[in-house]
Amino acid sequence: MTIPALQDEFQKLIEEHKKILYKVCNSYCRNRDARDDLAQEIIVQLWRSFERFDKRYRFSTWMYRIALNVAISFYRSESTRTRLVISDEEQLVQAVDAPESEPEEIAMLYRFIDGLDPLNKALALLYLDGNTYTEIASVLGISETNAATKINRLKNKMRHEMG
Amino acid sequence: MMDMDTFQQKWAEQDRKLDVSIRLNRQLLMASNMTYVQSPLRRFAFFQMLEALAGVAVAMMTGQFIYAHWHEPRFVLPAVALHIWVIANVAASVRQAVMAVQIDYAKPIAVIQKQLESLRVLRISVIRWDLLTGQIVWWVPFMIVAFKSFWGVDAYRVFGETFLTVNMLFGLALIPLAIWLSRKFGERMGRSVIVKGLVTAIAGYNLNAAIRSLGTVSEFASEN
Repeated sequence: MTIPALQDEFQKLIEEHKKILYKVCNSYCRNRDARDDLAQEIIVQLWRSFERFDKRYRFSTWMYRIALNVAISFYRSESTRTRLVISDEEQLVQAVDAPESEPEEIAMLYRFIDGLDPLNKALALLYLDGNTYTEIASVLGISETNAATKINRLKNKMRHEMG
Repeated sequence: MMDMDTFQQKWAEQDRKLDVSIRLNRQLLMASNMTYVQSPLRRFAFFQMLEALAGVAVAMMTGQFIYAHWHEPRFVLPAVALHIWVIANVAASVRQAVMAVQIDYAKPIAVIQKQLESLRVLRISVIRWDLLTGQIVWWVPFMIVAFKSFWGVDAYRVFGETFLTVNMLFGLALIPLAIWLSRKFGERMGRSVIVKGLVTAIAGYNLNAAIRSLGTVSEFASEN
């Protein structure tokens, strides 16, 4: 496949799955500037890995893996990050509605997610997005039983904190 | 009372709205994926390999020196110390480069995060021991070898054996002293990022933090 064709296909797939990008960035960074940096890093990493993407697998699972891996590493990384310069007015992925218009329950959820460690954030996000235990286990690299146990712990934590 | 399953429904409702409310900036998307940005990990691996190559060149020189002065232990011993230090660093650089290029973000999160944390632990350990032991080998042993190989001068005669021995002992004593001082006064040692970085590296704080993070990932991946 030629590079322009590959780019077209990549952009089409990202457009279809832009919600993943939006939710991962929103869950790991509530600050707008950091969110933009993270969105760029995810896109760059996705593009760099796209040639090796095996089409027998679901694009969303592959995208989750890369997006979450980049997001978890984002703040831990001590190395200097390569930034593309983006003006204040421009954002890679943007909600047309202001974030303030988020329903209270969703804002509460984001606050709950904010309080989790990076790995449990990934778990919560995957569960809330309706992924099956098999898919969650595959993205995280843990067994299904382990995924189920951890989700139960998260549910209890949520009940305890928000109940 | 709202539980996680109820929240999951609310999340799904919000998700449907996101379909229409999120706008992806296609121009920026194209700019992002068309711009050739070298991966920080690849860049790191490249510099580690450069460091390893420089180390190999130094190791060849010290090896040659050891061979040429094989029957003079007073010159061979410092050269061997330098040689071992350089070879250990070459091995550490190659190992870090290999670990870095093996990281593929498309692999499962627990695997990649463990690899990244292991790499971080190794890198911080190498920096720490380079700082602590480098000040010994790159002072007296280096001086003895450099004076002899570049100018044919015997440093033992120029500076005196006492001076060199005292310097060596001071360097050795500096290791526990530097660790103790960094732990005791690290927080108060100026605001410079570089100084703080050095102090936390010597004290082993960032190494401990990296080991803790590695433990967190391993614990997450375990069945318990």
